[in-house]
Amino acid sequence: MTSTDVLDVRAKAQREKRRRRIASIVYIAIGITLFFVAWVLLSLEASPWHYDIPPPFGAVGPFQDILQGVWGLFREEGAIAHFWSNLGTSQDMRIKFVHACPDLHPANVNNPFRQVASSLMGWKYTSDTAALTGGPLPVPIGQLPDYCYGYGIHLIVTIIRILLGAAFGTIAGLAIGLSSLVFPKVAQVFTPIASFFGTAPIFIAAPFFVIWFGVEVPIMTTIGLVTFYTTLLMYFFSRRAAENIPVGIVESALTLGGTPRSIFRWVYLPGTVPEIAGGFRIALAGAWGLGVLVEVLGIQVGGGHLIDIWRFLIGQLQAPSALVALITFYGVLAVVVDALLLVVIRYLTRWSEAGRRLGL
Amino acid sequence: MSRVVSFEGLWCVFEHRSGQLVNALHDVSFEVQPGEFVCVVGRSGHGKTTLLRVLAGLQPPTAGQTRLGDTVVEGPGADRAMVFQQDTVFPWLHVRDNVEFGLRALKVDDEERKSTTAHWLDAVGLTDFADSWPRELSGGMRKRVALAAAMAVGSDVILMDEPFGSLDYFTRRNLHDVLLDLWEETQKTIFFVTHDIEEALILADRVILLAEGKLVDDIPVDLPRPRDEDVRASAGAVDITKTILAHLGITEEEATQV
Ligand SMILES: Nc1ncnc2c1ncn2[C@@H]1O[C@H](COP(=O)(O)OP(=O)(O)OP(=O)(O)O)[C@@H](O)[C@H]1O
Ligand SMILES: [Mg+2]
Repeated sequence: MTSTDVLDVRAKAQREKRRRRIASIVYIAIGITLFFVAWVLLSLEASPWHYDIPPPFGAVGPFQDILQGVWGLFREEGAIAHFWSNLGTSQDMRIKFVHACPDLHPANVNNPFRQVASSLMGWKYTSDTAALTGGPLPVPIGQLPDYCYGYGIHLIVTIIRILLGAAFGTIAGLAIGLSSLVFPKVAQVFTPIASFFGTAPIFIAAPFFVIWFGVEVPIMTTIGLVTFYTTLLMYFFSRRAAENIPVGIVESALTLGGTPRSIFRWVYLPGTVPEIAGGFRIALAGAWGLGVLVEVLGIQVGGGHLIDIWRFLIGQLQAPSALVALITFYGVLAVVVDALLLVVIRYLTRWSEAGRRLGL
Repeated sequence: MSRVVSFEGLWCVFEHRSGQLVNALHDVSFEVQPGEFVCVVGRSGHGKTTLLRVLAGLQPPTAGQTRLGDTVVEGPGADRAMVFQQDTVFPWLHVRDNVEFGLRALKVDDEERKSTTAHWLDAVGLTDFADSWPRELSGGMRKRVALAAAMAVGSDVILMDEPFGSLDYFTRRNLHDVLLDLWEETQKTIFFVTHDIEEALILADRVILLAEGKLVDDIPVDLPRPRDEDVRASAGAVDITKTILAHLGITEEEATQV
């Protein structure tokens, strides 16, 4: 074998890699296409599966053909055009009095950060509280800033809530899971609890959270539920990751004078990264779903709330277009966040041949 | 500073799944002087690893005790660093960090830690690979990392459980030389488990023979060093080989037939 052959082999490997990348894009495209084909089949009167729902594209009439529909996406009344033009502020939402800034404190009106924070807290500032505290009166609806009526503020709030919940949950889950390795008592207490709630019951419990904690305090409902869910998952993942570290390696660390602290820092922490990172990707994917689900159940601000409004306003406004846009938005968001995660994970697992090969 | 290692009436009984009891160690007693190179020899499943694990503090004995000087062994510690049969190098740490692990655990200050690590990496010939990942090393090189890590914590007793069992002949001979150099330099007490009689003849001051968990013989190896081909072919060496084979229940013909 000469060095030219070696170059050949390398070129071949690169071609193979490119081929796989293209294939995965094609699969995603096929998946999206099938989704819309199903939707069109359900909405077309001529189709045998006709069901009385509006068509996905353009929302003009039931006899639109697909090509026209795709074109409709970009036209004035299409989903993308609609979403884009309503991102900052939305006349439709203003007409319906749907805004993302409930009962804003006047002092916060011009401070977007504090506004987001107050929505997160579910802060309710009514004329009653104003009278009680002697503070200024709440802002009249008409004087709310324009972005209170945009889609963007809802989505930002959702993203912040879910990422916050996932972050809290990951920290808590890892802390409990990894400390249970050093203190077996923790595992004795937490494993039964975690097994009882599991992950599927969490989705079932979502409506109860909404009933118990109400829709005005999303810190308990959205953030709380997402935190609880990620805590459970990360607890399981971190324990399993630690159990997969070979006993011989831990024993070796012990005979080299390893203390619980140093073994935690130099053995368990780095050794569990690949599995924990893989688990975190799964947890985050579930967290998007759970977060939006809870919002649909009645939280007044957030992407899930938009879905809820559009569900009622179907046939009016641009409901189907907006739904398509929202689905696309969450899809793109999930892919982007996942890609960012991959970069971090690749760096943390650069010691692991298996991790590199799996593209973990 | 160096201490006598003493095993006093050690028993280690395991219950197998079938309910059958196995005496992995059967009333084992002996003493090892500081700086001795002891090879533990025996057939597979006859208690060699168990003996080392008891001394390492990884396996509590059913009865009896192990002492290091006046201290009774109660758990693992850096005064009895162990090199395992399987690969126990931390794959997620660079070679240098692997060697530094024990020193970090012992809270040795930075400067001393760095110089000690550099010294042992040099001693096992891995200075150029200090910043490599273990996956980039060969099996023999990873054994050298484990050896350097064990040496670096500065224990006066080193336990080695068939450390070179999975390596090819040349690599093994090379590592014997590395190990003997380190031993002569540091005068540590070394326990070396092997089922290879030639390896025992090359390395040992003394061979401890285990059969079914019992200490059946304690053979001094009074051969001159270095133990080259000629020494290993001498009458004294052949006698020792015969004794060992006899204890293992194999005649020399049987051994050569294999
Ligand atoms: N943790 C354990 N549980 C049950 N039985 C065990 C355990 N460890 C060892 N044994 C038994 O004790 C006996 C001695 O085992 P040991 O590992 O000491 O043998 P060995 O001499 O090191 O063998 P080899 O040369 O194959 O490594 C064996 O019969 C084994 O089955
Ligand atoms: Mg063994």
